Amino acid sequence: MAVQGWHQTPLPSVATKLLTKSLLLPGVGKTSLVVRYIGKMFSKHISPTIGASFFTCNINLDDARIKLQVWDTAGQERFRSMAPMYYRNANAALLVYDITSANSFASIKGWVKELQNNVPEPMILSLVGNKSDLEDNRAVTQSEAVQYAASIGAAYCETSALHDQGIDQVFLNTATELLNLSSSSLVASLRSYDSTDYDEKLPIGIPSEEKATHTGKIELPAWTGDVKHGELQRSMCC
Amino acid sequence: MWYGHNLQRSYKYMIFASKMPSLRIDQSDLKCKNGCDYFGNPQWQGYCSKCHREQLQRQRRAEKASSATLPKPEKKKPEQIIKLASHSSFSKFEEKRLRQSETLKKANLLKFSVFKKGSADEHDHTPERKLPEFKIPPQVNEGMKREFRVRFSNLPPQVDRESRVFVHNFVMDVIKCSNVMTVDELSERVQRHYQHFMKYMDTSPHFANTESEVKEQLIDFVEKHAMTYLHDLPGVVFSPAGTDDERLDRAMSERIQQLSWVGERHLECRLDRTDSRTGQLLYKAISELLAVDGAPGPGGKLARVRRACRHVLALCGAPASADDLLPALIFTVLKANPPRLVSNINFVTRFCNAQRLMTGEGGYYFTNLCCAVSFIENLTAESLNMDKKEFDCYMAMPASIGGSTWAAALSLCGAVREAEEQRLQAERLLEDVKTLRANTIQLATNAETFEKEIAHKVQDVLAKTPLEIKPRREPPKLSSLRNSTIPLIDLDTPVQTPVQIKPPEEIPQIQIPEINPVEETATMTFDKTNDGESTQNIIDFQSLDKPSPPKSPQNQPWELKQTGSFELLTPSPLGFIPFDSRSIDEVMTPDEFGSDHLAPGLSNINYDIDLSDFSGDNSLAEDTPKEPKDPFSPDGIKKEPIFDPFQPQTSQSPYNTVLEKFDEFSLVDTKSNEISEAFEVVHKTQNPSTVDFRPNTVPESTDPFSPVQKEASILDDSGSPTAASLLPSPLQPQTSKQS
Repeated sequence: MAVQGWHQTPLPSVATKLLTKSLLLPGVGKTSLVVRYIGKMFSKHISPTIGASFFTCNINLDDARIKLQVWDTAGQERFRSMAPMYYRNANAALLVYDITSANSFASIKGWVKELQNNVPEPMILSLVGNKSDLEDNRAVTQSEAVQYAASIGAAYCETSALHDQGIDQVFLNTATELLNLSSSSLVASLRSYDSTDYDEKLPIGIPSEEKATHTGKIELPAWTGDVKHGELQRSMCC
Repeated sequence: MWYGHNLQRSYKYMIFASKMPSLRIDQSDLKCKNGCDYFGNPQWQGYCSKCHREQLQRQRRAEKASSATLPKPEKKKPEQIIKLASHSSFSKFEEKRLRQSETLKKANLLKFSVFKKGSADEHDHTPERKLPEFKIPPQVNEGMKREFRVRFSNLPPQVDRESRVFVHNFVMDVIKCSNVMTVDELSERVQRHYQHFMKYMDTSPHFANTESEVKEQLIDFVEKHAMTYLHDLPGVVFSPAGTDDERLDRAMSERIQQLSWVGERHLECRLDRTDSRTGQLLYKAISELLAVDGAPGPGGKLARVRRACRHVLALCGAPASADDLLPALIFTVLKANPPRLVSNINFVTRFCNAQRLMTGEGGYYFTNLCCAVSFIENLTAESLNMDKKEFDCYMAMPASIGGSTWAAALSLCGAVREAEEQRLQAERLLEDVKTLRANTIQLATNAETFEKEIAHKVQDVLAKTPLEIKPRREPPKLSSLRNSTIPLIDLDTPVQTPVQIKPPEEIPQIQIPEINPVEETATMTFDKTNDGESTQNIIDFQSLDKPSPPKSPQNQPWELKQTGSFELLTPSPLGFIPFDSRSIDEVMTPDEFGSDHLAPGLSNINYDIDLSDFSGDNSLAEDTPKEPKDPFSPDGIKKEPIFDPFQPQTSQSPYNTVLEKFDEFSLVDTKSNEISEAFEVVHKTQNPSTVDFRPNTVPESTDPFSPVQKEASILDDSGSPTAASLLPSPLQPQTSKQS
C-alpha cells in the first residue's frame, strides 16, 4: 500500500507515499474485506475493472490527508517468490488471516518473518483477524493473536467483512501510524509534503540525491537467473 | 577519429598535387603511396587503382559503422570548390564534406549553448563538445512546445522553456553517458535527472500554486518527450549495448512458445473458453500487450500494460483480487508472447520515473507483469502442480504441437472482432438512417404545421381586417357629370335640411364648422336615400352612409357598392382611394367620420369626381338613374364635392378630354372591381363584423345614385364571362348571389 499525502490548501497535508501490502492467503476473505471497504468508499461508482487488487483511498486525519495505495498480493504459495516485487518500498502491511483457520495464522508468521528479513525500513504491520462473525468456529484465540501482534509490534484487530465490522478501524489505524512514522522518522520512501508551510520549501521527506537514486534503482526482475523459484530472495531488498 | 587521419593524408596529397606543375617529378612521387610497386595516380589520391579501391572500401565501412551507432550527421553540401585537382576523387569530396559538417555542428552547438544559458540545471557542456556529431533534431523541441501549449496552458512560459531546456540537457547527457556507463549507472543517472526536475518543480516559484497532479503530469510530459526520442536511438536506452537484453528476449520468446501447452487448467485460473466474451477480452488484453513494444516512451508502455491488465481483470470477473489477476495475466502473457518482452520491461524499469513505477495503478500492474514474466521464466512442474515427468514430456515436444484450443479460439477472435466492428458500423448506419427518417418526418410535419399556421394567420388577419373592396366607381360620363352639377346646386339647399335631420348623431362629431356644410348636404342626401332605401338601411347606418354618398352615385346596388367601394378605391386613381377609405372608416366609427371626413373628404372629393366621371362614362344608361338618386340624399353630399370640381371641369374643355381617356381605364377596372366586390360581399354575409360594413356600404350604395349605375355595370360584368372568370373565388360567387 502506498500512502501518499495530498496537498490541500486548508489543511497542512502530509503526503506519505507508502506501500502497504495486504499479504493474504487465498480463501481468507481479504477480497471481500477490501471490496467491503471500497464499496463503502465508492458506493456510488465501483468499477468492476478496478477490482480488489489495487485501489487508492484518501483518509482524513485530524489535520492531514493521507492517500493510501493498497496493492494486493497474490497469496498462493507458488507466487511467493514474487512477493518482494510487491512489498518493495512498502510502508505498511496488512496481514489478514482467518480466525477460523489456524493454518492461515501460521502462514502469516512466515510472511512476517520474510518482511522483517527483507525490509530494512520500519514498516507498519497490522494483524487483522477476519471472519470475526464466525466466532463459533474460531481456531485462533484472540489472546494468542494479540500476543503475537505485540511480539512483532503490530496492531491487532478483528474484522468481519460480512457484518462490516472493524474494517474502517484497520485502515484508520494504519493511516495514523503512518502519519506518526512520517513525522518521527525520515523514511526515504515515505514522502510527506507540507503544502501550507512555505518556509520549508523542500518537502520534509523528499529523498536527498543519494537516497533518491537508491530508491530509484530498481532491481532487475527475477529472470536474471540468480533466483530460483520458491526460494526467498534475499537480494531483492533495497 | 578516422577522418582525422584522412585529413592529414589529404593535405599531403594537396602538397603533392601542387608539385605536379613543377618540371621535376620524383620517381617516388609517381609510385603508389601504399608502397606497392605500382604507379599511383593523382585521381586516386596517389594510390594505385587497387590500393585506392581498398582505401575507399575501408572508408565506407567506417562511415557505415559510425552512422549505425550515432545519429546521422547533418548532410551539407560543400560550399567551397576545391581549387586544386578539381577532378579530385570522391574520398576527397567526403573529407571536405565532413570538415564542413563538423564546423556546422559546432555552430549548432554554439546556438544550443546559448539556449542553455537560461537553464536552471548546471551540467557541464564539455562532453557535448567532445561529441559534436550529435544534435537533437528540432522536431523534439517543436513537439514539446506544441504539446506544452495544449496541455499546460496555465503554466507560465518560463516553465515551458525550462522544461525544454531540461529535456535537451537530459537527452544530451544520456547520450553522452551511454558510451561510458553501464546500463545500471545510466539508469541511476536518469533517475537523478528526474529527481532534479522534481526538485526544480518543488522549489521554483513558477509552481507555487500548482497542484501536485499538474506536477506529476509535467514530469510525465518531460519523461515522455525525452524518452520517446532516446527510445528510438539504437542501443542507447532500449536494449542497450552491453546488456544481453536481446538474447533474453529471444530466450523468453522461445520459452513462451514452448509453454504454449500451458492452459488455464494448469494455472488454476477460471476462464470459460466457451464464452465468446472471454475470448473477446482475452483478445483485447493480448492486443494491448503486443502494442507495448510499439509504444515509444515508458509512460506509453505503462499505459498499455495497465489497459491490458484491466482487460484481464474483467476476464477474471468482478471483484478480482491479485490471486485471480496474476494467474490470468500469466496465461495472457503466455498466449500473447509479446515481442521483445524482456527488453521492454527492462527499459521501463530502468528509465521510467521510479516515483511513478513505485506507485499508482500503472506501477501495480507493471509489477504484476514483472511477476508474470518472472513466473514464466522460472516455471517448473512444481509451480504448475503437475507431475515432473508429465511436465518434461510436455516441454520435450516441439512447440508447434503444443497448441491448445485457445490458439484456434484466439485466431477466431480476430475475425469475430472484425465482424463485431462491422456489425457495430452497420448498426451505426441504421441508426443514422433512422434519425434521418425521423428528421424527414419532422421536417414534413413542420412544413405542414407551418402552412397551417400561415393559413390560420392569414384567415385571422382577414377576419380582423376584412378586405372590403368597394365596387369600382365608374366615372360618370361627361353627361352624368353635367347632370351631377345639378346636385351641386342642390347641395346648398339640401345642406340645411339634412343638418336638421341628423344633428343628434353627427353634429357632435362634425365639429368642424367648415366641414359641416358639406356634411349637412350629405345628410340631406342621406335622408333622401334612407327614405327611398329605408327597407335596407338602418338609421344608424344612414349616418355612416353620409360619407359614402360620393360613391353612391356610382354604387347604385347598395350592398354591392358598399363592398365595392374599397375596390373602387384601390383600382381608381389616388384621389379616389383616400376618399373611399375615409368614408369606410367613418362608417365604422361615426365619431371619427364626422371630423375627419369632412376636411379630407373635400379634398378627396375632387379626385373622386374624376373617377366617378370616368365610371359614369362607362355606363351611360346608368348615369341617368344616378341623376335621380343623387338628388335623393346620400349621394348628394359626396356628389356635391365630387361634382363641385367637376362642374368646373365639365365646364373646362381640357378636362373633358382627359376624362374621356380615362374612360377606357375604367372599363378595364370594372372587371377588377367586380372581383373585389365579390370579396366584400362575402365578408358582409359571412362575418358578423361585416354588418358594420354593410351599413356603410349600404349607405354608400344607397347614397350615390350613380352606384346604381355601377351595380348595373357590375351585374353586367358578372353576367359576362370575364366577370365569372374573375370571380372564381368562393367569396365572389357569394357576392354575386347577394347582389
